[in-house]
Amino acid sequence: MAWTKWSYMDHWVTETPQGPQPPSFNRDHMDRYVKQLSALGFRGFDTFFFYLPILAGLYGSVKAFEEYLQDNGFDKITGIFSAYPYATEYTAPHVSETHDRIVADCQATIRAVEGLSVENFIVMPSTTYFQVEPVTDEKIKIMADLWNRVGRLTLEHGMRTTCHFEFWGAIRTREQLDLFFSYTDPQYVYFFCDTAQHTIAGVDPIQMFRDYRDRCTGFHFKDTHTVDTHEAYRTPPDPELMAPQVTRWFHEMGTDGGLVDFPALIREIVTSGYDGWLTVEHDKAELDGGSYAEATCVAKWYIDNVLAEAQALADQGAAR
Amino acid sequence: MNGIRWGYALNQWKPQFDDFVRREDHERALKTISIAGFDGVELTAGTGRWEPLGNPQQVVANFGSLEGFREFMESCGISAVCSWFYDPQQRSMEHLTGPLSPLNPADMDGIVAKAEWFARALAELGGSVLLVRAAPSAWEVPPDDDALNRLAECWSRVGNATMRYGVRTALHVDFLSMLRRGDALEVLLALTDPSAVGLALDTAEMTVSGIDPCAVIKRHPRRVWHVQFKDALAVDDAEEYLQSHAEYAVRQRGGTREIPRWFAEPGVDDGRVDFAAVTRVLLDAGYSGWIVFESDQSPHPATSALHGGYLLQRELRPIVAAESVMS
Repeated sequence: MAWTKWSYMDHWVTETPQGPQPPSFNRDHMDRYVKQLSALGFRGFDTFFFYLPILAGLYGSVKAFEEYLQDNGFDKITGIFSAYPYATEYTAPHVSETHDRIVADCQATIRAVEGLSVENFIVMPSTTYFQVEPVTDEKIKIMADLWNRVGRLTLEHGMRTTCHFEFWGAIRTREQLDLFFSYTDPQYVYFFCDTAQHTIAGVDPIQMFRDYRDRCTGFHFKDTHTVDTHEAYRTPPDPELMAPQVTRWFHEMGTDGGLVDFPALIREIVTSGYDGWLTVEHDKAELDGGSYAEATCVAKWYIDNVLAEAQALADQGAAR
Repeated sequence: MNGIRWGYALNQWKPQFDDFVRREDHERALKTISIAGFDGVELTAGTGRWEPLGNPQQVVANFGSLEGFREFMESCGISAVCSWFYDPQQRSMEHLTGPLSPLNPADMDGIVAKAEWFARALAELGGSVLLVRAAPSAWEVPPDDDALNRLAECWSRVGNATMRYGVRTALHVDFLSMLRRGDALEVLLALTDPSAVGLALDTAEMTVSGIDPCAVIKRHPRRVWHVQFKDALAVDDAEEYLQSHAEYAVRQRGGTREIPRWFAEPGVDDGRVDFAAVTRVLLDAGYSGWIVFESDQSPHPATSALHGGYLLQRELRPIVAAESVMS
């Protein structure tokens, strides 16, 4: 049976009379956006913590927005993405003095989704690499301490804190990832596998999933055409959008030149018995004149054709 | 000789949080503003790594220093950041603070500190005015005496603080503001220290509110410390600004009439503001300072800047020049 638990990460941009804007520009744009996702068969919706007040403003409450999604064929809001990507005096996961403030901030996000059944509280566990280096075992331990605290907290509210690693973050190599997970409590801190981010960092996302299957709570199915071989990850102030050598790191599934082996990943997922959500993501699809609608169609076509076939083969293998 | 200078607001180039982050984007926008005939640029406060021009910390992170940014601007033909717009109700990732309210005494120290942060940087960037969102939206809180007194205390403190850096604090009143109700704006101006707090007159926000900007200038010729030239395409004559969550339902969505754009660049067809008339009234009032063109948001930022430039070069500069000759 084809995988049905596909969710969509909320990066979409629409053209409005005021220029390109997120669909939360108004309810008409949200309507068109949600109908397109619905037509593509998505059943889960992941969004950013900073969109929650806007959604509450548009629909009266986040719960009312979720009901609107359900009226359009969705199951629910599946994940909330939260991040502190830039270290400041007050926010730096590798500096323990800032942890109380970060925890308090996470509590505010938790309150914003109280009463829903969001599964994943997705976090970037570190800030940019260049603000942390030298990355030491001690700093990784301090970051792990923070997410252990947050993980315990979110679990009390039914959400798992799950770590999404960036190619430009302070925890990026396989050794650093393993060390971080060894310092975190498996009860409280989980793994979120972004296929493109790990690939850019030179880490095999399939092997990561294989090794952390028991702690994996989700994926960003996203492709890249580039491995960071020139240490762009160390580029201040922001390697993701401002690296001089690369203007676009991320692509939707199904483009020529994509480096992620998604059929192999879906086979691994099926074989492992994982039954959670799989999320389609493609940041900055509008670069090079692209459109979010078209990028999402291309990705979903790839899912329904290429990945479905790989999944069917894996299902047959599992049945044998 | 009057002291009017012309600037352009950069906010229309950044429709989303992850747009307009690369140096080459900034360079093209600044060159566009310069060649259209403007000398200064107005920034909008923002937060986080994808807001390179959003606050002093990010400017330094991106350009090495404030001086480095100034040199970059000058290389594009722009002489100054004339002004910065700061809304305390926006969250700050740099300080990890949530929205601060000028109505909440407990938030006042934080607002003053942030205003000083911007003012210090503005002074180094050649600027002279910190615009602040003066009050929350009308649907959130009524403008009773207690609220107006708290606003006056907050902004008088802020104004005195920024003055230490040679930067004046000017209250920006938008069409959703609680200050639009009754005579709240008049009362607030009377309550604030006139040596510390002025008004940032936004022609479009006034017009959408049903207020004649010329009348405001005539009533408060000494309190207008900053001017934004922005056109209005509709008037909120049904007072929809009082609706709950008017930021989304009215400002973005356009209210029950689904107005596609409340605002547009000066020079647009069908605009409701008579910029020549406003310019003459400003001259009559002895206004000296920046006039910043703004589109707010635009489907075509460079086109908006050029339409504004056409109006400036063909109509407004000659008015100002003629007045200089006469005086």
